[in-house]
Amino acid sequence: MQADLKWLDDPQTFRVNQLPAHSDHHYYRTVAEMQAHQSSFVQSLDGTWQFAFAQTPQERPVGFEQPDADHQNFGEIQVPGHIELAGYGQLHYTNTLYPWEGKLYRRPAYALGDTTGMPGMFSEGPDNTVGAYLKTFTLNPELRDHRVVIQFDGVEEAMYLWLNGHFVGYAEDSFSQSEFDLTPYLQAGENLLAVEVFKRSTAAFLEDQDFFRFSGIFRSVRLVAQPTVHVNDLTIRANVLDDLTTGDFNVTLNLNADAAQSGAQVKTILHAGQQVLLNQTVPAQAELTIRHVPVPNVHLWDHHDPYLYQLQVEVLDASGQLLEVVPYDVGFRRVELKDKVMLLNGHRLILNGVNRHEWDAKRGRSVTLADMQYDLQVFKQHHINAVRTCHYPDQIAWYALCDRNGIYMMAENNLETHGTWQKMGAVEPSYNVPGSLPQWQGAVVDRARSNYQTFKNHPAILFWSLGNESYAGDDIAAMDQYYHDHDEGRLTHYEGVCRNRVYADRISDMESMMYDPPKAIRDYLDNDPQKPFVNCEYMHDMGNSLGGMNSYTDLIDQYPMYQGGFIWDYIDQALLVNDEVTGQLVLRYGGDFDDRHSDYEFSGDGLLFADRTPKPALQEVSYYYGKYDR
Amino acid sequence: MANTTAKLHVVYGDGTLGLHGEGFQYIFSYERGGLESLKRNGKEWLYRVPKPTFWRATTDNDRGNHFSEKSAMWLGADLFSPCTHIEVAVNGQDITLPIAPENNRYSDHETAETVTLRFTYTTTTVPATTVVVSYTVDATGAIRVHTHFTGQAGLPELPALGLRFVMPTAAQQFSYRGLSGETYPDRMAGGQLGDYQVTGLPVTPYMVPQECGMHMATEHATVTRAITLNNADPDTEPFSLTFTQADQPFNFSCLPYTAEELENATHIEELPPLRRTVFTVFGAVRGVGGIDSWGADVEAKYHLPADRDYDFEFVIAGTQE
Repeated sequence: MQADLKWLDDPQTFRVNQLPAHSDHHYYRTVAEMQAHQSSFVQSLDGTWQFAFAQTPQERPVGFEQPDADHQNFGEIQVPGHIELAGYGQLHYTNTLYPWEGKLYRRPAYALGDTTGMPGMFSEGPDNTVGAYLKTFTLNPELRDHRVVIQFDGVEEAMYLWLNGHFVGYAEDSFSQSEFDLTPYLQAGENLLAVEVFKRSTAAFLEDQDFFRFSGIFRSVRLVAQPTVHVNDLTIRANVLDDLTTGDFNVTLNLNADAAQSGAQVKTILHAGQQVLLNQTVPAQAELTIRHVPVPNVHLWDHHDPYLYQLQVEVLDASGQLLEVVPYDVGFRRVELKDKVMLLNGHRLILNGVNRHEWDAKRGRSVTLADMQYDLQVFKQHHINAVRTCHYPDQIAWYALCDRNGIYMMAENNLETHGTWQKMGAVEPSYNVPGSLPQWQGAVVDRARSNYQTFKNHPAILFWSLGNESYAGDDIAAMDQYYHDHDEGRLTHYEGVCRNRVYADRISDMESMMYDPPKAIRDYLDNDPQKPFVNCEYMHDMGNSLGGMNSYTDLIDQYPMYQGGFIWDYIDQALLVNDEVTGQLVLRYGGDFDDRHSDYEFSGDGLLFADRTPKPALQEVSYYYGKYDR
Repeated sequence: MANTTAKLHVVYGDGTLGLHGEGFQYIFSYERGGLESLKRNGKEWLYRVPKPTFWRATTDNDRGNHFSEKSAMWLGADLFSPCTHIEVAVNGQDITLPIAPENNRYSDHETAETVTLRFTYTTTTVPATTVVVSYTVDATGAIRVHTHFTGQAGLPELPALGLRFVMPTAAQQFSYRGLSGETYPDRMAGGQLGDYQVTGLPVTPYMVPQECGMHMATEHATVTRAITLNNADPDTEPFSLTFTQADQPFNFSCLPYTAEELENATHIEELPPLRRTVFTVFGAVRGVGGIDSWGADVEAKYHLPADRDYDFEFVIAGTQE
């Protein structure tokens, strides 16, 4: 198969040769590796790559993926990172209006009765900058003679991949992991990896979040080798029975299709320290299921006591040698709707939450583990018990950190199409996508699938969020359906259905609003409400703000169906750059890079300044969230 | 203990009225319309006469809900409201304004228990209203400052109401007993009562400079400086001035900039070099709001309607306390 630039224009082509999304488990060759969190199956490709930049697809270095191509004009770039922060493309911040506003006239393919599919909209887009990346690698000895896949944790916004000149695959969805099998094209010695990253594709319509518009390989890249028998996916169901004291553990393992022929054994252990609840060894099969292991007097997981059991799956070859060991943290907790109130472990849930964009003033959305750890300290210190991953899946490491720190997650898909349905404040969905357009449904359901499949085992996730501010139609209803078909243990969230109430029965288990004044919330709760109420965004902390928070928290005491919310938002989005006059490091925002149209300081709504120092308002949050920290 | 036998020395000047005592010398200017000099132990504390202040640098929420547009008149009043009337009372009795030649009846050894000067400012709003600032000085050098705002129907809501002291040089630090952090009427529940010291004159680094640094419900606040503008004063020993509550706690901010300087900047690095201390006591503070930043108003109970009167009072502590 050959790469085709037309995929950029086609909303129905969003993944080519990508491996299916699966659980985010780590696996190790030995128990010692597992204890050290260092897998010899993994080879990082982060670091310095060769790089060439083109302003348009037409100016890109065609054929650069070929090993014999001339790469003399290539410079360097650090991976992970944004192309724009490496000095190649213009920085740009815009909120709802699409980044091409006032420059190009675009309407989404198949909207407004279009039947042409809008060929050339992005493949010939004069604003579609291209990054050509090259990385030479030699497999570590530990990876040789194995199946080897490559994982891109985040590439914005569309990428083509080649190895040693052979086309491997194509991916969109900037914030989900994209994985490809490299095995057929690997060679001994040096291998040449080529990635062509386009700033725009039809995915641009789906990724209209209120943020800086970046491109590039902004999250880690790694090679992972797989042993001959390998746990590709695991689905954990750590249920709690009605008595709220007995755990009910279930797990399904998916191994390679030929696992049964290998003579391998799979040993599955569930334990809590010395207490072993399950220790079972069975012959390997493509699918193995263990059902209804009782856990009497189960130690429940919640914010105050994020207790985790340990699952350990060992794959042993026919001679009993360990092939791989897979650890996973297991939290038993029960999420349910009862009398229209959301309960966790039988208790009414109070969400003292924040919306958290991934942000680092120096690195943009390419955040570090240190950033995440700092953020969790802030959460702990100020009684923040919940986070909404606005408006895309976060780095994978964040989810396990939330498990361990007892942070309730609203795990949101990478979806916002704000500019297709709201213009200058008015609801005007004439060319809304995905809407009910069949040509766009596959792409958005795929985003739901990736989010679910990757993160399904995290106890921290209580809610799946379908996306943000994308209006409502059959396609978002299909996303909701996907989650309910696959997950009985969590609730769905989507605010945008309030703009199109026709879908109220098919979308979102909770009534979610953003920025409703307290009185409007009372009106809802006083008038036969059908769903519990959550503020998916409230207390807009732009500049010197966050006044009157008690008018919201008072509702907690007055209405059982009022269940709190997520402050907008956790951290300002501004970039630390050198002042053109003084040379000093200063924080700059939209419009400061000659970027137009811009929404200027509108991205400065955090409880923290962009450099992670706290804003004065944080003490107010600490007070009220502390008051309801139950 | 205050020296109860001490008297306040009064100098009935041609353009000013001077009040002296042990460790203090105050000069009130009829031409400048206010307290022109507040000197303690030889150190000057005022750069220009204190004036009523009505403006706050537009917050993001103020911009979003068009508050600054609706109340823009108060920006002009903040900058330009003149002093239109002056009264003087000695030992509680009003006297004829002691300007030339009326002051020829006095001598070079006049004293009093207390002297009060009342400065009336007429706002440059339409309609206009008045603010009366009264300074009552006693022999200890304590100045009891009372401000009265006369409500006037037809005026837009006030962004702020205070009395602003601009000091000649930047403070090294200030300390206060009151609430932690930056507080506003609708955002002060998280403030913890205590004694706090703030080094330098930090401007809260909101992405766009705006109203900041308010401290609600303060019992006392002390500003400490080390240098003066006096060319004959090489001393760099720190020296302080304390503001204390009268009957009720007061609100204040201590910043290096006026509201207008903050208003003009789009980034913190555009603000001028740190040069002065702007210490403002606020008798009334508007809430900051928080529902959204594109239209939602501050909750009604945190508004400052201008059709009602406001009074506030505080004391600049004397030299013998």
